Amino acid sequence: MKHLWNCFCRELGLIKESPRYLILLTAGILFSYVFFLTFMHEGQPENLPIAVVDQDGSYLSRRLCHEIDATQGVDVVAVYNSHSEAREAMQRQEIFAFLEIPAGTYSEVLDFKTPHLALYSNNAYLLAGTLSYKTLSTIGKLTSAAVQREVMRKKGYSEDQIMGMIQPIEIDAHLISNPWGSYLPYVLTTMLPGIIGVMALLLTVYLVTNEYKLKTENIWLSTAGDNMLNALIGKLLPYTCWFTLIGIIGNMVMFGFSHFVCLGSFFALSVALLLFVMAMQAMGVFLAGLIPDQHLAVSVAAIYGMLSFSMSGFSYPVVSMPPALQAISYVFPLRHYYLTYADVAMFGATFTQYWPHLCWLLCFMMAGCIGGLLLNRWAKSNSDDAAIEC
Amino acid sequence: MKNFWHNITSGLKDIYDVFTLELYRIFTDGGVMLIFFVGSLLYPLIFGAIYKHECIRNLPVAVVDDSQSAPSQRFIHELDATPEVNVNYNCNTLSEAETLMRQRKVNGIVYFPNDYSDRLAKGETARLCLFCDMSSFLYYRSVFTGASSVMLDEMKHVELERYAMAGVTGEDAETAITPVPYEDVKLFSPAGGFTSFLVPALLALVIHQTLFLGIGILSGTAREEGQTVAIVPERLRNRSVYRVVIGRSLAYLMIYIPLVAIDLVLLPRVFGLPHIGRLDDLCLFFLPFLLATIAFSMTVGSFVRQRDTGIIVCIFFSVVLLFLSGVVWPRSNMPLFWKYFSYLFPSTHGIQGFIRINSLGAHLKQVQFEYQMLWVQSGLYFLITCLLYRVKFFKYEDRAVCI
Repeated sequence: MKHLWNCFCRELGLIKESPRYLILLTAGILFSYVFFLTFMHEGQPENLPIAVVDQDGSYLSRRLCHEIDATQGVDVVAVYNSHSEAREAMQRQEIFAFLEIPAGTYSEVLDFKTPHLALYSNNAYLLAGTLSYKTLSTIGKLTSAAVQREVMRKKGYSEDQIMGMIQPIEIDAHLISNPWGSYLPYVLTTMLPGIIGVMALLLTVYLVTNEYKLKTENIWLSTAGDNMLNALIGKLLPYTCWFTLIGIIGNMVMFGFSHFVCLGSFFALSVALLLFVMAMQAMGVFLAGLIPDQHLAVSVAAIYGMLSFSMSGFSYPVVSMPPALQAISYVFPLRHYYLTYADVAMFGATFTQYWPHLCWLLCFMMAGCIGGLLLNRWAKSNSDDAAIEC
Repeated sequence: MKNFWHNITSGLKDIYDVFTLELYRIFTDGGVMLIFFVGSLLYPLIFGAIYKHECIRNLPVAVVDDSQSAPSQRFIHELDATPEVNVNYNCNTLSEAETLMRQRKVNGIVYFPNDYSDRLAKGETARLCLFCDMSSFLYYRSVFTGASSVMLDEMKHVELERYAMAGVTGEDAETAITPVPYEDVKLFSPAGGFTSFLVPALLALVIHQTLFLGIGILSGTAREEGQTVAIVPERLRNRSVYRVVIGRSLAYLMIYIPLVAIDLVLLPRVFGLPHIGRLDDLCLFFLPFLLATIAFSMTVGSFVRQRDTGIIVCIFFSVVLLFLSGVVWPRSNMPLFWKYFSYLFPSTHGIQGFIRINSLGAHLKQVQFEYQMLWVQSGLYFLITCLLYRVKFFKYEDRAVCI
């Protein structure tokens, strides 16, 4: 225990000597929190630019334009005369969708014929395309409903009967733990802790390999009483505390200040965060032990860290990935953090439900131990070499 | 005149020297080779594998049918038949379904209240409840799309019945139900898939980031080894600095032209991603994109003092740059500050332009703004790099600069 403390103090001294890295990383993390919270503050994009191709120029088409413009989701930024103009505007990304009202629409409605509207949406931009499509298709349905209602009123049906005719079935959708359908909790709750984790990983690889690069590994080990486990824990503990602290404050901002829904216990989430940071550090130790060359080790850690975001499955579900990748997803700690978060915050799960994810995070400590053994071997062989040279 | 020719030939010779030296440094650095060649080729392959399937199919859902009637059962059968969802569980109570949801065995619950069929029979509006798992937006999207497509179909069915009761049948009834039908055309990615939307952006981002990272590492290494930002041949010390910048740029350009051809031209075709862009437009667009990225990376690189700082800066910016590009979050809805902030990075215009040419079939004319911005960035960052190198050469003049 004394050795561990010594090693801890030595690391604090090293940080005091050159705090550049820690400051850089902390600034980076703070920047991402500020960036993402302000960048998507709307939650769901509103007033997306769309256009109307009005070839009819009638009372009905003008009214449609106004009604579309009045909805919250979209904003009519232009009225074009031809399809090709609108298509080019879409390619210039000035609009995400457009509604085409062919000539003669109004007169056909009056004649009880069926004019066709056409609705074009740009699916290459998934979020904007889907949302503007959704709003426009609602308008499309409402147009039919409005005409239908007028006809039925004239025929003498009661309002209740009319409603039953127009909308016989209704879906009452409940979006669990994100009733606004906001983009923020969906992206940020996993990605921001993910960024912290990747930083912890890179820093671990860098710091551990640095001891070998500067040939201070023997001083480091002797401070820890020639025990690699003590040495590693002592060295990494300050960063574990620091990153977990930032993560918890970040979660407080998200679940407190930004009012994201957290049904379960915040404490459980914090524990998961601590284990996640430790798991990322353990992977860092493992990589450092596996690849003794600092440059290469940091590069490999960077590649592994970046894949965490895709492999965690928060944006694209793991179940839709090829089976081999589904298996590989287990070696990314962010995946387990995301699962714990979903269980705890979104479904209010209790310990009996989310403990397997925490166990998985603990399993990464084994990778850390293997890394420690390898590091021990490098240290021994290095000191042997030094002895031979002497 | 003789002097002029001498200047040109010596300039070209110097550029060539810097160029070969830079190539030598790239090919002898394991980390950089890993980033340039393995990173830029492996990442696209991994992304291609991860996002292989465009959409989620057969998402498990549970149904709770309190109505136990013919209409509700028909709804359930139709729901089961949709490509989006699979009805895996038939529960007796809502709490049973809730437990399944908590155990993450299902991603949605469809609940029919006991008055569902009664209301339909009375000609009123029948309600059904949908509970969606929001832990991923794609779950929500699938469950919701599946349920609403069945609802629309059922609605038409019921409406036809009701009109028939009122004595309106056949084509008259069809016209009465939808007096103004609409067709929807989903342009550029008909399936509305996640893959065709995200992977092209990631491919362009990989090119930007690997280049940025590689150059950052090389600059950092040079500084760590006690050099100035770039290692220069001794005799270049008092010459104009543009030779160093051009020489280095050419080395990166030469390596990245084939990589861009593979990542941004070949791979969209191999992965079956949208690729309706014209090849000449794409090539014309890639040139300023690469030049701007190289110049930008050299500018940032000259501030990198240590090799690994470069890596950390790059990693950290990857996610931010993806969002700044406006692929995920529409550009029209970005706060103004971040919109202008995004103009600092070549990736913003590069990703936008690439997607619009490649996936939307735009011509160079329609990406004019991006195209011009990339040239402006190339020029600007080139000048800044020259300036920074000049300052540093003066500053470290006493320090040994070896070949």
